[in-house]
Parts: sequence; C-alpha cells; structure tokens
Amino acid sequence: MQSDQHSDSPDEVDEAALTQVMRIVPLGAGILAGSAVALLVLGYLAIYLLVFLPRGTVG
Amino acid sequence: MAELHAGEMHERYILKTELLWAFGVGILIAATLSVIVFTALTMDVNPPSNVERIDPKTLHLSGEFAEQNLGTTVGADGSVTARVIATQFMFVPRCIAVPRGKRITLRFAAPDVIHGLLITGTNVNTMVLPGFVSQVHTEFTRTGDLLMPCHEYCGLGHSEMWAIVQVLPENEFKPGQDGRVSCAQR
Repeated sequence: MQSDQHSDSPDEVDEAALTQVMRIVPLGAGILAGSAVALLVLGYLAIYLLVFLPRGTVG
Repeated sequence: MAELHAGEMHERYILKTELLWAFGVGILIAATLSVIVFTALTMDVNPPSNVERIDPKTLHLSGEFAEQNLGTTVGADGSVTARVIATQFMFVPRCIAVPRGKRITLRFAAPDVIHGLLITGTNVNTMVLPGFVSQVHTEFTRTGDLLMPCHEYCGLGHSEMWAIVQVLPENEFKPGQDGRVSCAQR
C-alpha cells in the first residue's frame, strides 16, 4: 500500500546521495543569502553616495 | 563508520561556512562604519546635535529669538546665522535668505509644542523641542527656493506650517547696514 511505502522510504535513502546533496544545499543557501546581503549593501552605498552626499554637508 | 565520517565532514563544513559568513558580515559592518566615520571626518557630515536650553515662555520677549533678531544675520566675522521660531502653525519668518556655497548656521526654537522641519533636497532635518535650541550647520549647493515644511504633527494647522529657504547666489546675498538679509522679492 501507498502509506506503507511512504513509512518505509526513510530507510531506503541512499546515504551517499544524501551526503552529496547536503554538500550542495549549504552552498546554495550561502549564495542566496550572500546575494541578498550584497544587493542590500549595494543599495545602501548607492543611496549614500549618489543621494545623501550630493545633498551637502550637515552637522 | 562511513556515516559517522560523512556527518563529521558535514558539521565541519557548516562550521566553516558559518565562520566565513560571520567574517564577511564583520567586513561589511566595518566598511559601513568606516564610510560613516570617513565622511564625518573629511566632509563634516554628522547628525546635528546641540544641547542648549532656552526658556520657551520668554522666548519672544528678549534675547536671541526676539522678533528683531529673527531671520538671517551676517556677523562681523562674516558668519551667516538664520534664527527661526517654529510655532503653531507657522515659521517666523516665513522666508529665510541664505547664500549658496557658504557654511551657515540654522537655529530654531519653539515656544509651544514639538515641531520638526526639513529642507527639501538637502540633508537638513531636525526636531524643534520647546525648551531647547535646535542648531544645524549646512552649506547649500544650488540656488533657488526650497520648501521647509514642519514634519512633526503639531496640531490641526500642521499642514499649513511651512516656510521657504531662498538660496541666493553669492553676488545677490548682500547684507544691509545692520547685517541682516531678507528674502528677495521675485
């Protein structure tokens, strides 16, 4: 039956394939998070350098 | 045994990734703070901060913010200071003349409630609290009439509370005998 097959499936994981996948997944997460942070920092720098500073000194 | 080995490698990889990430974020924070410190030291860009008390009850009667002292004044040393009262629901005076390309001092006080202001297209942005003098140093880089609205809700007439900052070219910014400069009529 279908449900039995599902409950059995965790035992049938290919450990080698799992290890391979787990090697790639953190790299993808790192690239995604890195891209998001890089875009944020670039946006901050663009506004700081192109909008804030040309508006003149203040203090 | 092979499973244990793979698990160890995985944990080590995660730790390495986390340390690398922490290092990268540390670099970014340091770079951001460096930019702020660098511009503060070389370009004099700072958050306006001035703790100076003034009695809001007698503000208009005598002293610096009495009516005859409001507006733009050029000191004997050539320094330009504009004094403005922010009150419900207007700025006094309604128009401030300032020169382009010269460091000036803006001083604000309020006799009633909390106000705030910004000057459009510039970095001038401050609160005006009763009991304190708000002071901002700035330098205007282009001529023209700039809107200066109240940006802190101060009552029913808040939306009508605004003034004009008239940035004049150097050759048109001419103080009178008393060192005062009024807005040009256009």
